[in-house]
Amino acid sequence: MSGDPARRRALVLAGLLSPATVLMIVFLVAPMLIVIGYSFSARDDYGGVLPVFTSENYTALLDPLYLHVLWNSVSLAGLTTIICLIVGYPAAYFIAFRAGRLAPVLLVLMLIPFWINFLIRISAWVVLLGRNGLVNAGLVASGLLDAPIGMLGTEGAVLVGLVYAFLPTAIFPIYAALNPIPPILIEAADDLGAGPIAAFWRVTLPLSLPGVMAAILFVFVPAMGAFAIPALLGGGKSIVIGNLIVQLFLEFRNIPLGAAVSVVLLAASIALILVYMRILQRLEAARS
Amino acid sequence: MTSLSPGHSFRSSSAGVLASRIEMFVARALSPTILVLAYVFLFAPLVVLIAYSFNAGRSTVVWSGFSFKWYEAVFADRNLGRAFWVSVMVAVVSASASTIVGTLAALALGRRRFLGAAFFSTLLTAPLVLPEIVMAVGLLVFMVATGLGLGYGSMIAGHILVTIPFTTLIVRAATAALDHRLDEAAADLGANDWQVFTRVTMPLLAPSIMTAFLLAATLSFDNFVMSTFTAGVGTTPLPIHIYSMLKLGITPQINALGTLMVAFNVAIILVVMTRYLALTFNKKPDH
Repeated sequence: MSGDPARRRALVLAGLLSPATVLMIVFLVAPMLIVIGYSFSARDDYGGVLPVFTSENYTALLDPLYLHVLWNSVSLAGLTTIICLIVGYPAAYFIAFRAGRLAPVLLVLMLIPFWINFLIRISAWVVLLGRNGLVNAGLVASGLLDAPIGMLGTEGAVLVGLVYAFLPTAIFPIYAALNPIPPILIEAADDLGAGPIAAFWRVTLPLSLPGVMAAILFVFVPAMGAFAIPALLGGGKSIVIGNLIVQLFLEFRNIPLGAAVSVVLLAASIALILVYMRILQRLEAARS
Repeated sequence: MTSLSPGHSFRSSSAGVLASRIEMFVARALSPTILVLAYVFLFAPLVVLIAYSFNAGRSTVVWSGFSFKWYEAVFADRNLGRAFWVSVMVAVVSASASTIVGTLAALALGRRRFLGAAFFSTLLTAPLVLPEIVMAVGLLVFMVATGLGLGYGSMIAGHILVTIPFTTLIVRAATAALDHRLDEAAADLGANDWQVFTRVTMPLLAPSIMTAFLLAATLSFDNFVMSTFTAGVGTTPLPIHIYSMLKLGITPQINALGTLMVAFNVAIILVVMTRYLALTFNKKPDH
């Protein structure tokens, strides 16, 4: 063993980090660069990629057909996020402050559906939402409907599936942000005459905002790229970005156009992540 | 307009009481109600799924008697079995690789401060927030462009990519929580760096490394998006096979498969919970 300690330390550090770095450069950074490169190239008649520089893939995306797909994805992912927050926040609140000794049980229960292949869980919804399914039967029996209606293949069905898939994803980060808040802080606000709702609005909610932001990010980004749920519950009618990418790559073999759609999705996600980090910094600056 | 008659003041204070009653009700009842609804929403499909896995008929809607025949169908289905073993293989290999690489990176990132540390941790957590479908498309294009082709290799690479943020974060949290005085004590007692690592650091990190491996294996086993683009011909993993089964139509066989997965997960959770409870109970009589 030789060499000065600083040099040895640097060598150890390089040794520890190099496998991960090589892996990320080869399997993440290089592929992303290829996708960006392909998005500016053209397609030959056999589904191959022609090495020419053109921006026509991006101008093709301005077609109302593709803009509609884009809007579909944004609105579905946005609605999913909003519903997940409206339902997930109170649920996380209860687990964090009111559940007491039940809290670990409730959290583990939340994990069970989370860890079963989500396609099988979605298949349960295909059955439930079918014309002869339990949801229709329940609505007819309760008099809300006169006759069963077609629910599968609608955007509503896709929305139910997306909320179902992403609700736990929203609850966990909100719970993680709420859990460390000392209940005494909220009680103090309440005692000082704020009332429970004002105490929530002025104390609890601001302190939990980082968790809410994380929930938005972890629901919105994957919901934008979802394709199995829209395909199974939407009946292929409401096409979203995910389906479009799958079709362009695996069915139509239009790699340049598919790459352009992927780059748009990537850019939108990165923009969202940057906004998230910016807001998080502001929140932390405001707190200190 | 008469000003402030006793009746008026009474009414306004009762309105105030009513408002605060409503406020109390909202504050007390809203969160449990929504929680219960959320759990019903999450579990109702599973209950229906499990119930109809025992249906004698082919329908997943009409009940026609109790039977185990769909479970027999699951075990008799050779394609399903093959897809299952592909998934197990990919999960074990990718989770092992992801855990080793993630642990090494976590050892570097968790304790030492160095130039570029923030960059490396951003790079390693990026797959957590980037859309998986775009990373999958990238890997597909990369494998075709380099002539490496699709198969076990591409799928394992993809699964390592998807799971590495989790393994790094879990082990990193554990290294950050390590008590540095233990290494120093071992070093003072004459252990060299390697001995400190194998006899002190590793045993302390072992539970977190195991957790990281299990989570990575679960995520890999369940992965659908990355596999859709990186699986080759003849290396169809279970989720892709399930997807093609669903597209052909849902029979109680899917329900039986799902029920087996529920049972497996609940069994694991129960084992972990009983171990956890045993640990907390064993700690109590301590002095």
